[in-house]
Amino acid sequence: MSQIAAGGGPSPGAPATVAVGGRVRDISWWRTPTARRYLFGYTLLAPAVLYVALLVGIPFVFSLYLAVSDASVGVPVARFVGLENFKAALENSAFWTAVRNTVVFTLGAGIMKGLLGTALAFLLIQPFKGRRVVRALVVIPFTLPIAVSVLGWKWMFDSQFSVINWALSRLNLIGAYGSPEWPVWLGQPALALFSVMFVNVWRGFPFSAIVLMAGMTSIPPEIIDAGKVDGATFLQRFRKIIVPMIAPILFIGSAFDTVFTLSDLSIVYLLTNGGPDGATEILPTLAYNTGIKAGALGRGAAISLSLFPLLLPLMILLLRTLRRRQY
Amino acid sequence: MLDPRFSSERPHVSRRGFLRLTGAGVAGGALVTMLDARKAPAQLKGTSLRILMWSHFVPAYDTWLDDFAKRWGEKTGVKVRMDHIPHLELPARYAAEFAAGAGHDLIYFVGQILTGQYYRNLVDLSDLAEGLAKKYGAWMPASKSAGQVGGAWYGVPDFFISIPVLWRKDLLESVGVNNPDTWDDLRKAARLLKPKGHPTGMQFSHCNDANHNWRSLLYCFGGKETDPSGQNLTLDSKETREALRFAKALYDEGMTPEVFSWDDASDNRYLASGVACWVHDAISAFRTTQDTNPKVFEQTYVLPEAKGPVARLNMGEPNVWAIWKFSKNVPAAKEFIQTIADHQKEAMEASRGYNMPFLKNQYTKPMPGLGGDAKLSALQEQDKITVFFGYPGPMTPAAQEVLTTFIVPDMFTRVARGADIEETMKWGMGETRRIYTKHKAG
Repeated sequence: MSQIAAGGGPSPGAPATVAVGGRVRDISWWRTPTARRYLFGYTLLAPAVLYVALLVGIPFVFSLYLAVSDASVGVPVARFVGLENFKAALENSAFWTAVRNTVVFTLGAGIMKGLLGTALAFLLIQPFKGRRVVRALVVIPFTLPIAVSVLGWKWMFDSQFSVINWALSRLNLIGAYGSPEWPVWLGQPALALFSVMFVNVWRGFPFSAIVLMAGMTSIPPEIIDAGKVDGATFLQRFRKIIVPMIAPILFIGSAFDTVFTLSDLSIVYLLTNGGPDGATEILPTLAYNTGIKAGALGRGAAISLSLFPLLLPLMILLLRTLRRRQY
Repeated sequence: MLDPRFSSERPHVSRRGFLRLTGAGVAGGALVTMLDARKAPAQLKGTSLRILMWSHFVPAYDTWLDDFAKRWGEKTGVKVRMDHIPHLELPARYAAEFAAGAGHDLIYFVGQILTGQYYRNLVDLSDLAEGLAKKYGAWMPASKSAGQVGGAWYGVPDFFISIPVLWRKDLLESVGVNNPDTWDDLRKAARLLKPKGHPTGMQFSHCNDANHNWRSLLYCFGGKETDPSGQNLTLDSKETREALRFAKALYDEGMTPEVFSWDDASDNRYLASGVACWVHDAISAFRTTQDTNPKVFEQTYVLPEAKGPVARLNMGEPNVWAIWKFSKNVPAAKEFIQTIADHQKEAMEASRGYNMPFLKNQYTKPMPGLGGDAKLSALQEQDKITVFFGYPGPMTPAAQEVLTTFIVPDMFTRVARGADIEETMKWGMGETRRIYTKHKAG
């Protein structure tokens, strides 16, 4: 005789009773095959959970602690100050400039990377001679150390020795050096913001292209061919077949890109450090200059955490959409 | 130069040793002589010392310093490791080391002087600093701002970088400005030379030089960031407004918009390329021009600072030694500071006159790297006109935050771009007041 739980199996945590050779024997739940399966699954998951907890969770909790304290770089014991640091950030005009620039920077660069990445992905999935070499070359911007590539751009945007300007000037598209038509890439507010976005796009769009290519290559060619036979145009095929089919990859790629762009400190820090007069100030540079260079860790943390309310709903929305599409 | 009287133990230089040392000095330079002449405490032998150092703008100085540290290590029996990192990365490194409670034994503040932030965790070096003052005359007045908190020395000033005016004699003379001495002279020269393709330039951007240059002008016009206590803001004044008005005119008449994009090296290139009629920069620009464009260099002269309506004050960039309380080798770190202070002349020579000393007697003429150079010899009295950020107050954490958030150069930038002076003053005061209020509350 055996006692079986109503659900058809032993309830978790409760001992199972089974008849073996006419004798009744109790088996702990954790020794059942189901429990072993759970255990195996969680064991496989554990490194990832540990990794996220150690490298994301703890720093995040620590930054929350800093943001509600008056911590500074040289004071080991901080006092709880509630939301004072957030209030201070909201009262800071540079903060609002940084919020505006961050949104423009993220959206502008994201759209450009999406467009360029899509175009590049379509080009690179076409069969042509030397495709492998070209594929390897286009990912170079993404693989170069960021400091090296940004310093290269800094030279190309130099007010006096800009190779871009010299080339444009030789082609008579702009005036000569010293003339009002000579663009000062990192000195004119709109151009400066455009320039830092441009470098972010240059560096990031190969990543977008790779993500899209990975998605596109997973689409069975018969489906595309069927669309062609049915008379679908390129745009219709793209909108009605390709995008829906690679949507999960697109969502994940967009989520990654948004996070990377929102938190991109290096490009702005190395090119303009937020100048001139805050024209390229973004939240990461403001947080760094306030929290690390000026030593006001609490206020720096509050500024950097102000990204969180922007990101959280976006990420929830993306992940929910992704889950709906999966089922 | 080493003074054996300051040595903690009797110098033991025998006659033979003396002859050997003098011979070595002739053959191999003064470094070995100096190092041999100071005897380090015996207990240092077998220990190690990690030093956090920036990458100097004059690479030859880093070569000298590394060699100096190596020889000092050989002499004292201390295993020395010198880590050079870019100066802009230093604040993050201090914060990381402080948070970890571990790191380098001896650290170095460059430009951004964080003595005020970290003093609770730094070793009190008053004995060392006061000993140096006794040995080499007094510290120059601005030194206290860099090294002291509450009357105690938590940092020992090493050297400061001076930011003089570097001007083209041929160009300025061509428009009748023969010996520029005042900001008005410089403005006149720029106004007359810009149409001829030789404008001037000072950074209206977020870089160190912008912080230095516009503060120098502000101080020369009588503008003050705080009162001498460093607690009360005094930036809102007619002198500051005059400085802003002057900067606007200087930009309109004598500069091009490229100054809004400049970094710390742009003015070096501007001078070396032969375009600039004058720049306001460290003598690294002078040296760069010397190395890259001898013709322009021939015509490049140095003015320690232009005189303003109120004063002639130059904002320098201080460099300061400090020791963490968690340092594993405080005695060796202190000994290293002492020894390098004793070798200030060689350090100055190695830096080609770039490293300006803080101690009075080290201004005895001729100074190394400066005294023998007709153009640079004017810098031998730079101690009399040098002040640091926060002037006339000390470099407090609040002053540091005003510096790192570029409020002062942004005020000048706004006005140069056409913003109303009163509106700009209101904005600048609002930002600085907010920072000072936060620090007072903390």
